[in-house]
Amino acid sequence: MEDEPVGRSATLDVPFSLGKPDEAREETVDRERALDRFLAGIERRALRIAAIALRDRAEAEDAVQDAMIRLVRNYGDHPEGEWRPLFYRILRNRITDFQRRQKVRRAVTVFWTGRESEDEAPDPLENAVDPRGRPDEAIEGEELLRRIEEVLAKLSSRQREAFLLRNFEGLDVAQAAVAMGCSEGSVKTHYFRAMQALQVALPEWKS
Amino acid sequence: MNDDEMRELERKTRAAFDASVESQDAATRSRLARARAKALEELHRRRLAGSSVWMPAGAAAAALVAALLWQREQGAAPEVPDVDVALEDLEIVAGGEDFDMLREDEDFVAWAAEEDLSDGVG
Repeated sequence: MEDEPVGRSATLDVPFSLGKPDEAREETVDRERALDRFLAGIERRALRIAAIALRDRAEAEDAVQDAMIRLVRNYGDHPEGEWRPLFYRILRNRITDFQRRQKVRRAVTVFWTGRESEDEAPDPLENAVDPRGRPDEAIEGEELLRRIEEVLAKLSSRQREAFLLRNFEGLDVAQAAVAMGCSEGSVKTHYFRAMQALQVALPEWKS
Repeated sequence: MNDDEMRELERKTRAAFDASVESQDAATRSRLARARAKALEELHRRRLAGSSVWMPAGAAAAALVAALLWQREQGAAPEVPDVDVALEDLEIVAGGEDFDMLREDEDFVAWAAEEDLSDGVG
């Protein structure tokens, strides 16, 4: 077996080594495959979570794509076990940025027109009483999720994040803490409060 | 809410979420696949170009400076493809995602520092 030139990188031809080129290339191909598998496994749930948090489908798709690009570019070389919390950390930042922009836009609209923008106006159909929504009736599937989304929209952003990451995405407390950028104790508290709010708002869930 | 009730509420809400994920239409799945391909595209392109795919910000800057100095010492003009690759690395460094995230809060900085230390040891 031929030895590679010591202390020289064949690709950059500079006096330091970044490992054997073939091995490095093979490792990179493996990484690419692993990243592809990881993203394929997470993308659909991530999109649904982003859509619930943002309440804007197109923006949710942009946010997920942006998170994918940034994860690959900046953290692709991290251990695979770190990807999930890091991905959600990036996605969370993107969601927060969007919500801040929305808040500014809303404030500007109110300042200039004295009223909320049209897309913020309450939708009479959305607020209509649902005849199927009797408290004594079991609710399932899409209807239950719609009700959950309504409750989540009224929670603080931290409580909502804790619920989405812990319950819907299945992150453990430590991973959720990384994704949310807070302590594990905060995750537990926010999550518990979110669950309490859901229980109060969805008395029929027991059915 | 006792533990059993909490677990049951968790199970039921998660099942509703899972069902909605499963019911995503083909067009949505296709857009997600395209987004994933786009995310991996840059990586693939850089690998084919033979450049380092990932390099920490400091290492990228140091490697660029070292390469330029070394080439200068050798009296050789930098080759165009290498300079392009180095500039791409610089663009990524200048992209600032790491710094954006680190700026967010101290907890994450502490966690990231611990991770770097453990990476170095392990």
